[in-house]
Amino acid sequence: MFVSKYLQRWTTPRGIAAQVAILLGVALAIVILISANQTQALVLGLGAGALIAALALSITLNYQGSGVVNFSVGAMAMYASYIYFGLRTDGKLFLPPIPNPLALIEGVVHLFGAPSFRLPAFPAFISVSHGGSTSYSYGAAIKTAAMSAPEAMVIALAECAVLGLLFHLLIFRPLRKAPVLAKVVASIGLFILLQEIVVLRFGSDAQTVSPILPQHPVSLPRGIRIPSDQLFLTAIVILVTFLLWGIFKYTRYGIATRAAAENEKGSLILGFSPDFLAGVNWVGSTVLVGLFGILIGPINQSIDPYTVTLLVIPALAAALLARFTSFSVTVIAGLGIGMASSWIQYITNQSWFPKVGGAALPGLSDALPFVIIIVVLMLRGKSLPTRGSIETIKLPFAPKAKRALPSTALFTIVAAVLLFVVTPDWRLAIVNATVGAVICLSLVVLTGYVGQISLMQMALAGISGFTLSKVADAYHIPFPIGPLLGAVVAVGVGLLAGIPALRVRGVNLAVATFAAAMTIQSVVLGNPAWSGTNGASVAPPSMFGVTFGPNQPWSKIFGGGKGLLPNPWFGVFCLVVLALLILGVVNIRRSRMGRQMLAVRANERAAAAAGVSVSGTKILAFAISAFIAGIGGALSGYRFGSVTADYFGAVPSMLFLAFAYLGGISSVSGAVVGGMLVAGGISTMILTSWLHVSDQYTLLIAGTGLILMAIFNPQGVAGGIRELSHSLQARRHAKRGEQPQVELQEVSS
Amino acid sequence: MTTMLSTTGLTVTFGVNKAVDALDLVVEEGQLVGLIGPNGAGKTTTVDAISGFVPCHGEVDFLGTSMTSLSATARARAGLGRTWQSSELFDDLTVLENLQVAAEKISTKGFLRDLVNPRNDDVEALEKILASVDLLAAKNQLPTELSHGQRKLVGVARALAASPAVLCMDEPAAGLDSTESLELGGRIRSLVDGGLSVLLIDHDMGLVLTVCDVIYVLDFGRLIAKGTPEEIRSSPVVIEAYLGGGSDA
Repeated sequence: MFVSKYLQRWTTPRGIAAQVAILLGVALAIVILISANQTQALVLGLGAGALIAALALSITLNYQGSGVVNFSVGAMAMYASYIYFGLRTDGKLFLPPIPNPLALIEGVVHLFGAPSFRLPAFPAFISVSHGGSTSYSYGAAIKTAAMSAPEAMVIALAECAVLGLLFHLLIFRPLRKAPVLAKVVASIGLFILLQEIVVLRFGSDAQTVSPILPQHPVSLPRGIRIPSDQLFLTAIVILVTFLLWGIFKYTRYGIATRAAAENEKGSLILGFSPDFLAGVNWVGSTVLVGLFGILIGPINQSIDPYTVTLLVIPALAAALLARFTSFSVTVIAGLGIGMASSWIQYITNQSWFPKVGGAALPGLSDALPFVIIIVVLMLRGKSLPTRGSIETIKLPFAPKAKRALPSTALFTIVAAVLLFVVTPDWRLAIVNATVGAVICLSLVVLTGYVGQISLMQMALAGISGFTLSKVADAYHIPFPIGPLLGAVVAVGVGLLAGIPALRVRGVNLAVATFAAAMTIQSVVLGNPAWSGTNGASVAPPSMFGVTFGPNQPWSKIFGGGKGLLPNPWFGVFCLVVLALLILGVVNIRRSRMGRQMLAVRANERAAAAAGVSVSGTKILAFAISAFIAGIGGALSGYRFGSVTADYFGAVPSMLFLAFAYLGGISSVSGAVVGGMLVAGGISTMILTSWLHVSDQYTLLIAGTGLILMAIFNPQGVAGGIRELSHSLQARRHAKRGEQPQVELQEVSS
Repeated sequence: MTTMLSTTGLTVTFGVNKAVDALDLVVEEGQLVGLIGPNGAGKTTTVDAISGFVPCHGEVDFLGTSMTSLSATARARAGLGRTWQSSELFDDLTVLENLQVAAEKISTKGFLRDLVNPRNDDVEALEKILASVDLLAAKNQLPTELSHGQRKLVGVARALAASPAVLCMDEPAAGLDSTESLELGGRIRSLVDGGLSVLLIDHDMGLVLTVCDVIYVLDFGRLIAKGTPEEIRSSPVVIEAYLGGGSDA
């Protein structure tokens, strides 16, 4: 009794804050006792910690206000830093590429053989300065400031407020009644969109930014020094936390937001509509991350489209640690993670730190958020809250495929024939689409059938490819055992990362898997000692003395021919693998396994009451999904001849969920469409070869498409086509005066 | 007579409130036991505790075995079925598939076989269950295409598909009109006559007093009366706590 009361007290937000504070205090005390250098390393993480804390506060605000776990919060901070940068250095406000109706005309004209034809485009920048250079080159060092820092900051934050309101009104308000998946997908869409807009306008290279806060070193006891801007930033985030605490504790608006987080109808009693609260929280949270995005730039000495964007992962860990509720725990956790990361970086550079292949194990600081998330999920488990919301829109319908065998065979044969007749560019696109479809298929099982969101599929694919590379090198394990072994290892790693999160409901699996993907990317795939500087090399597949990798001319296989490259037979091999996996997944949907998966997706309580093991079903789906992703990773490894951290990391994992969702996440046909949409797939070829749209717009279009799809057509492209064909069929029957046929297949087929 | 289900000192606490307070309840073989009480009396919480959906103190015994430490899934697999007040159907699956989920068990061998050649075993038995509730014609429809009353019946049929030894029915007549309710009562009675033991919770006093063999009455989580329908009808405690003021009974 005493123990349970003790535990109850320590699992309240205040108890958790105390635990975190005690742990940090003890850790800090030990470090200070050991070495002044380690303390120095610790305090140098304050700046990054303050930003992580601010991002985590923003995530908490959005979650409380609208039930959205905002994966794009880092991208928003990064976007704001570029608004400020553009204004400060050039006096120009950059504009996103606005869809230009004239581009369609251009595209059609290009299609008919006039690629140089150009019509006027929308401007990329608006000049708002009262002077300054207009010939400024973004790649160069800062010459003159076109606008004062306060002016630039006010305009940038005003734009952040407008953007926050637009995000709410145009994206997340329409998704208020949508399932968690649609909200996650929309925030991923926003992530991609914001990042790509900045890349298009400013390029991928880092930009130097001028100081905003005073940067003189402040001396602390024992010779420890810290730049004053880091202290200022920390003070600001603590001040903001006190402000938020006061607002949420003492104002009607704050109490109503907390009430809405419990039960959206609750806020109405206090006279606030949930929509209004969500809108205010979106504006507030976007301005907050904007402010810190701007202020962190000079501390990091430069801004780029990627670094701050990925700080969403530690921020998610901090927010999760605070159960998406407590501001004080959030900020302590954020600061703690920032400081601990800095300290980890310091100690890994020490001579005594264990080495792998002569170098310290990289990415350990990236692994920290993942470790925190897993520990939190394991300790808290089901006590983690899920926000009250009114979900009236269901996940996309998961149909049983009709005539799967003949249609899969026909699709495979047609694609295989095309491999031999199209140009090399198109042949490569077919191979890319096929491999992409395999990865998307892995998400059909896990997300489409069971409703669990994984943001680590490409990282699991990478683990498989990495294993394939290692077992072939070290043990000469031949094809097809190598790829199968890789897939099995992917299952093991996937289960290690996924099982703690599978025990809980809601968006936690997405958060945990995203952090796991980052860890795999940094620690395993990005480790030069294990993967080399260009990634782990993968030897081409070979069986019965015949090697059929993409770079083996086909003439060497069967003799004769023209030595086509990439080898079409490799494409055929990929197609056959995809076809077998498609048939397997179709059979899963038709079988008791598929029914149990969909039962769990629809209603976990009722599934348990019907004797279905909810966690067992989720784990099975996770294992099947990881296996399929592993096979995709092996194919991808063969396709590129190597496995690199960039291709198989956290962001590509996010992108693949996006492509699978765009295609139609709950059907095998959706996975095939998703494969066509992946970068370098069929859609890229259509855009670049037929419409002459630069491939740099591919991700921009994907991000926009993702948001639109989440709002208007959660069934995806394949589901949309299916619905259209059903409605046309019904209309045809109505015209003939016939009863429409029952759309659902007989179960006893 | 064999005791199928019993609770001893069943207590469920939410914060400082006792939703169910030391409830002793017995369902004998082939018995239709009613559990009634005013709103908030703890009826649904009792079913949730028996079926493993809320943590509780006390003992839940099923066929002489303690269920207390078992999960909801394990209790269902042991033969302790339940239905839900709001049906809680699997809306993405057809009516027949809803029943299949409850009837089928997954094995490693079956899993591998299904990957290559999925089969639908026991469909005939499930169709018989659907026919017994007049829903055979709707077997390939989605639950969302059915009326409220039909959805309720699918919920009952799904619970029956698992071949339970005891079925806890949580307000099966909620939302049904008086004719549908009467018809449902007849169906439940015929199930019991066929050998099933049932714990029936309902607001419809007419239904409970007409079909049940034994009735338990809860008020504020405590058992205030137990007896045959006649004894309950004439119990002054029940009349004061529940039936007083011109109830539908």
